[in-house]
Amino acid sequence: MKTTKKYWKGLAQLNNDPIVENLAQNEFVEQLPVDEFLGDQENLSSTSSSRRDFLKFLGFSTAAATLAACETPIVKSIPYLVKPDEIIPGVANYYASTIYDGRDYASVLVKTREGRPIKIENNATYSNSRVQASVLSLYDSARLKHPLKDSKETNWRTVDLEIKEKLEAVNDGKIALLTSTIISPSTENLIKDFSKKYNNVEHVMLDSTPYDGVLNANMDSFGIRLAPTYSFDKANVIVSFGADFLANWMENEYATDYVKGRNPKSGRMSKHYQIETNLSLSGANADNRMQIKPSEQGFLISSLYDGIQGKTFDKRLSSIVKVLQSNLSKSIVISNSNDKNVQLIINAINQKLGNYNSTISINKPTNLKQGNANKLDNLLSDMKAGNIGAIITYNVNPSYSLAKATEFNEALKNVKLKISTSLYNDETASLMDYVCPDHHNLESWGDANPKYGKYSLMQPTISPLFNTRQFQESLLVWTSRSDYFSYLKEFWINKGVNWNKSLHDGFFDLKENKLKLKRFVDQSQSIKSKKSNTIELEIYETIALGDGCQSNNPWLQELPDPITRACWDNYLTISATTAKELGLSNWNVSNGALNGSLVDITADNLVIRDVPVMISPGQALSTVGMAVGYGRTKAGKAGNNVGFNAFPFLNTKSVTITKVEGKYEFASIQLHHTMMGRDIVKETTLAEYIKDPSSGNHRETYATYKGKLPSDQVSLYEEHDLETGHFWNLSIDLSSCIGCGECVISCQAENNVPVVGKEEVRKSRDMHWMRIDRYFSSDMTKELSKKEKLSAIDMFSEMEDPSEKPEVVFQPVMCQHCNHAPCETVCPVAATTHSNEGLNQMTYNRCVGTRYCANNCPYKVRRFNWFQYSDNDKFDFNMNDDYGKMVLNPDVVVRSRGVIEKCSMCIQKIQELKLNAKKSGQPIKDADAQTACASSCSTNAIVFGDSNNKDSEVWRLRNDERAYDLLDHLNVKPSVFYQTKIRNKA
Amino acid sequence: MSKKTLYAIFDDEEVLLESVKELRSQDFEITEVYSPFPIHGLDHALGLKETRMAITAFIYGCIGLTFGGLLIYYTMISGIGKSWPMNIGGKPNFYFYQNIPSFVPIMFECTVLFAAHLMSITYLFRNKLYPGATTKSPDPRTTDDKFLMEIKVEGSDFEIKKILTSTGASEINEKNIDHE
Amino acid sequence: MHKESEIRDPLILGNKTYHDITRDIARPVEGKANKYWWILFGLSAMLFLWGVACIAYTIGTGIGVWGSNKTVNWAWDITNFVWWIGIGHAGTLISAVLLLFRQKWRMGINRSAEAMTIFAVVQAALFPLIHMGRPWLAYWVFPIPNQYGSLWVNFNSPLLWDVFAISTYFSVSVVFWYIGLIPDFAMIRDRMSSTISPMKKRLYTILSFGWSGRAKHWQRFEEVSLVLAGLATPLVFSVHSIVSMDFATSVIPGWHTTIFPPYFVLGALFSGFAMVETLLIIMRKVVNMEAYITIKHIEYMNVIILFTGSLVGTAYITELFMAWYSGVEFEQYAFLNRATGPYWWAYLSMMSCNVMIPQLYWIRKIRTSFIATFILSIFVNIGMWFERFVIIVTSLHRDFLPSAWTMFSPTFVDAGIFLGTIGFFFTLFLLYSRTFPVVAQAELKTILKSSGSEFKTRSHE
Repeated sequence: MKTTKKYWKGLAQLNNDPIVENLAQNEFVEQLPVDEFLGDQENLSSTSSSRRDFLKFLGFSTAAATLAACETPIVKSIPYLVKPDEIIPGVANYYASTIYDGRDYASVLVKTREGRPIKIENNATYSNSRVQASVLSLYDSARLKHPLKDSKETNWRTVDLEIKEKLEAVNDGKIALLTSTIISPSTENLIKDFSKKYNNVEHVMLDSTPYDGVLNANMDSFGIRLAPTYSFDKANVIVSFGADFLANWMENEYATDYVKGRNPKSGRMSKHYQIETNLSLSGANADNRMQIKPSEQGFLISSLYDGIQGKTFDKRLSSIVKVLQSNLSKSIVISNSNDKNVQLIINAINQKLGNYNSTISINKPTNLKQGNANKLDNLLSDMKAGNIGAIITYNVNPSYSLAKATEFNEALKNVKLKISTSLYNDETASLMDYVCPDHHNLESWGDANPKYGKYSLMQPTISPLFNTRQFQESLLVWTSRSDYFSYLKEFWINKGVNWNKSLHDGFFDLKENKLKLKRFVDQSQSIKSKKSNTIELEIYETIALGDGCQSNNPWLQELPDPITRACWDNYLTISATTAKELGLSNWNVSNGALNGSLVDITADNLVIRDVPVMISPGQALSTVGMAVGYGRTKAGKAGNNVGFNAFPFLNTKSVTITKVEGKYEFASIQLHHTMMGRDIVKETTLAEYIKDPSSGNHRETYATYKGKLPSDQVSLYEEHDLETGHFWNLSIDLSSCIGCGECVISCQAENNVPVVGKEEVRKSRDMHWMRIDRYFSSDMTKELSKKEKLSAIDMFSEMEDPSEKPEVVFQPVMCQHCNHAPCETVCPVAATTHSNEGLNQMTYNRCVGTRYCANNCPYKVRRFNWFQYSDNDKFDFNMNDDYGKMVLNPDVVVRSRGVIEKCSMCIQKIQELKLNAKKSGQPIKDADAQTACASSCSTNAIVFGDSNNKDSEVWRLRNDERAYDLLDHLNVKPSVFYQTKIRNKA
Repeated sequence: MSKKTLYAIFDDEEVLLESVKELRSQDFEITEVYSPFPIHGLDHALGLKETRMAITAFIYGCIGLTFGGLLIYYTMISGIGKSWPMNIGGKPNFYFYQNIPSFVPIMFECTVLFAAHLMSITYLFRNKLYPGATTKSPDPRTTDDKFLMEIKVEGSDFEIKKILTSTGASEINEKNIDHE
Repeated sequence: MHKESEIRDPLILGNKTYHDITRDIARPVEGKANKYWWILFGLSAMLFLWGVACIAYTIGTGIGVWGSNKTVNWAWDITNFVWWIGIGHAGTLISAVLLLFRQKWRMGINRSAEAMTIFAVVQAALFPLIHMGRPWLAYWVFPIPNQYGSLWVNFNSPLLWDVFAISTYFSVSVVFWYIGLIPDFAMIRDRMSSTISPMKKRLYTILSFGWSGRAKHWQRFEEVSLVLAGLATPLVFSVHSIVSMDFATSVIPGWHTTIFPPYFVLGALFSGFAMVETLLIIMRKVVNMEAYITIKHIEYMNVIILFTGSLVGTAYITELFMAWYSGVEFEQYAFLNRATGPYWWAYLSMMSCNVMIPQLYWIRKIRTSFIATFILSIFVNIGMWFERFVIIVTSLHRDFLPSAWTMFSPTFVDAGIFLGTIGFFFTLFLLYSRTFPVVAQAELKTILKSSGSEFKTRSHE
């Protein structure tokens, strides 16, 4: 209902007073002066602020606002909510653990900072460069971050459900478990349980480089399919037919014993014969080396057997035979042959010489190699025949590392259920239905039984970085159980092991019942010599990459090969003569970098195109060598397409080589291979040494008013006091150093040394703080040139090319910490100065980068940051990767662009040592003083310590007759010194 | 009495020199001579004092040498009250003399630096030469090819003019200065 | 007023009066530039800009864009540095040493020679700066009191000696130059009319510091010039001696040589005079100074080049002899490697350009020909650049440990920066030749009567 009600605001309105009307008319009592303002011109124009001013104001206020918006970036640092009581920020924790990636085994101490593993130290055993570098592989961002199904991300629940039911569904055929050699007792047990649940499991073990020859031979000779342990320290004579036991053959622990057995001080020094094709690390360290074609090996071995039986034998072996017969039961004869018959002869020889139970103990065998080629072949044929319902791979990459990889991949198609537990989505994993990524060793629990009676435990040092799960855990889950940790603990406690102590120590011994061996019977058939004039191939593994399972580790990729000194590559090694015959060559381009010609390698149905040729002295005539472990296609950004894959040629004996057009660019950090007759590596023979311990260590003397004095006693200066306090010295024993390069990686890990990549290395800009120089002997010597009356020019030009049968020396060179340092005096800003503890110190943030110090360094050990190597996409390695950066040592600054850096003798370790000593109030113990290189050195060639401490090892070495300063005529008084190399040759 | 300034202009420096000698011999005061280039013997003729620029240079040099020496001594040589001396390449830095060979170059440079610069500054200062100063020369041609002699006279200038013309002044201008 | 032998050839050609000299010297400043000038200026400006780009790239990315490596840490950068410093020596020598020796003929050329010195030193000073890994911290090489209190420079370092030597040499040369310039600026000032070109007038008024040419000022002027000359002379010799000590005090075979200081100084004068000739022969055409820069001047300089060139040659031989005589295998190899190693071609071009070619100056015809002199001076410049390259690179690339031996090859940036400095140098010089009195006219007028051709002829009558 419509209201007509009217409300009045006052009496005036009620009785319609006109004023109300007026008011209503003009609401605003007086007009707003709008028109006056806008209308009146001169008023407007008179206002000083023009449109430009307005824009200025606008601009200013915008700028002001922008500036106000700027603020310093926030760095989030999250404190512990509840601090774990074992972690003190800034103090490292060490955990005993084990590294075993299916190939390399080591019992290690893992150094962690704020819960991050950053360094691997040796514990009970010695390791190698790959073990040292494995800490970086932990932080590899190419690792799988979650389980995959048909190469698509998924979660564990679905994976487990599906896998379990599919496994149960498998009835028309076997479940194959294809693993690396398993040395973990608990895992073996697990696999047993697994087989119990699914009763048709076949477990096949596989070594990337097969040792079936040795294993099968031992099966025949002794009834156990295991390799013996060798005690190279007990042997007086070592005869190795191609076995590179110092680098990659079998175990990586031999080097330690080998060097123990070669101690000139005690006068007991083993005599090492190497009869081989490629120049291996062992060959480089051998006292006598013989170059043979692989096809000759069998014959020579059986001829050697004839020899020691007193029959007629090949004359090349005469000296060896003599020495062996005069050192009965004190020798070791080994061969890298994968042929059972050859190994049977080897066994026979060792038996004949009575080496078993003295230098070779078959009753204490090693478990590290158990791969079985026959089983693998059966598996393959079963797969082809479709008799395999499911396959699970662990720690192996058969699609890459098998000689028959293509065959395997074909056969894989017939398998219904394909599961990989690889850390990476690698060549094999990418073909699988399911990938259940395993933990890295440093994230896992585990145990290991590398050899008879020796055990070690593996414990996680960081919680899993990614959504991965340990293989053992997976097995448990698939057998509807869980918790591998308690399984493991239980397993050992039941065996009466003191769990906590063993876990703390990382290793323990266990009494085991004796192995039942059948008594030895000689089953060897002698082998006739056969002439072959084809070019023969010898496959080898490099120190850096081994079988290539860590291909994506930039540290390893940039670790120069000890022999060829090239990195980021594999290549065809060939002798200069053979190369000339085939019209192949190496040459240096204008900036010194090395180039090589290309060839195609073909063998019956195999071919590799455009393989670079590396001329390497010591290679037997008309033979070639190729390294496996390269040519990965699914390793990750660092490892992909580096070099070529040589695995298909694993069992190939002879190849044909055809030169093709084009050149290849190598990244070799040493472009000059001889010492040019200079007194750089001083060496002598054992006989000489016993006569006169200072033989070969001739020191220049200088005429002074006190008479003739050696350089280190001559000085123009009033010396600074180095006697009080510490005087840190480093001794490097050149006859103990085998050149394995472990120290280089150790140093790189400890000191945050950047990786610079192939191109920069090629430009001679490698950044390693320590390098291991390798020199070949040359056929031309000063004496010879005198005899031949050669001009100096001819002499030097001939000296430049190494001998075809070279003697090899290795010399680790890092900053020599000269006490009269040429680098220090020339720095305009005093960025490098001397400490009163004998260290040459580098102040990075004072350095302006004139590089004068680097020029004036006689050892050329100073490294310049040519570019920004961290956080730079042009150098896309671990320092440009959020995960990779986690490996950085927080105690060492990451150097910026434009500064010089160099070895600091691990000053951070020294400081820590001194602080701890101060806190505990105890004097520093000699054993505690360690640099990264010294602590990692497997052969104890590098000894670090305080020379002012008169009972320190390094003081003793300083005063040894063998000690000498590198380039001592310069009289720069280094704190680093070397011990002459001693060869045990006539 | 009227004061005025005579400007006698000559075309040749030798003529000027003769005239100067003539006037001086008759005890006339020559206020100033402006010339486009230095005239040898003029300063003696005018009876100017020897300049002491060289002496100042020597003094400044000594200051520079001392400065260099002290700076190095303070920064490089160990001892109480010094800065932070460091062991650089094992060079002895216990006493100045031990390390002096490396210090010679810089001490020398300091000497030269101080001597040259301070002397030049003194030179400009004494001549009142500075950027923006305006020329005091009464005739712009004196920087080209004319030689000008400035004489202040009180009373009669007849004598002087006579001598000037007789000694070969090409033109004579005069400027009256009224009584102050 | 001193007399000069009549047999001496005149140093000022044509019957010039004082006014003629004034006019001739002022002409380039007052007049318009001819087309040679514009062509040359365009070219050098372009080179200069290219150089700037390359330097910017280096500083932005890192020294890695050069060809240097862990063994050869210095290459073109320091080669160019030493080369330019060497060139920057003739100027001061001409104006200082020749002044002390009362060599009249210096007056025609000393102004330009000094200008060249200063511009060359500017180029040289660039390299120590940009060759640093962190050039933005370059000021750290000066002993500046700082908040760290005890953070000082290292007075043992030859590089620091360089810093002092070069900055002293540069600033003293500038002062010496400017003291001499003041009267000439005054001359130009007084010719400028404030109505036609007020800007120029004001500019030259400021530049001339209000010079009026009083007797007392001239007296002081002469004394100051003399003392500055006296100071500059040891300076000239010290600078390159100190530069040479960068090498001489090091341990590298081929660097560690006591002969370096005198040898470098001679080399410097050698190359310096060559560059003076190159420039003056161009300049006398571009700004028509034929009357004041005569063949006589050129001949005198050629004689000096012949002399210093032969001395440099002697130094080379001495080096070789010392290497052999020392019996130090490293030393011996270093020099053997220079002559016969991978860089033999550099050594050969050094030897031929510096030692053999200058011997042609024994022939009067060549000594007194502008064309021949120009060509030969270019050869000498090239040869001296190679000398520095040989000393620096071939000594470094094979030093003590063969394991570190490698080679060096330049990148386009190396080349770009070098060309850039050449461009910069000529740009500066060309600008100078249009704005400055290129001949010290005040001084020149003092010798007009003794060495001017007109007066000569008159005195013959």
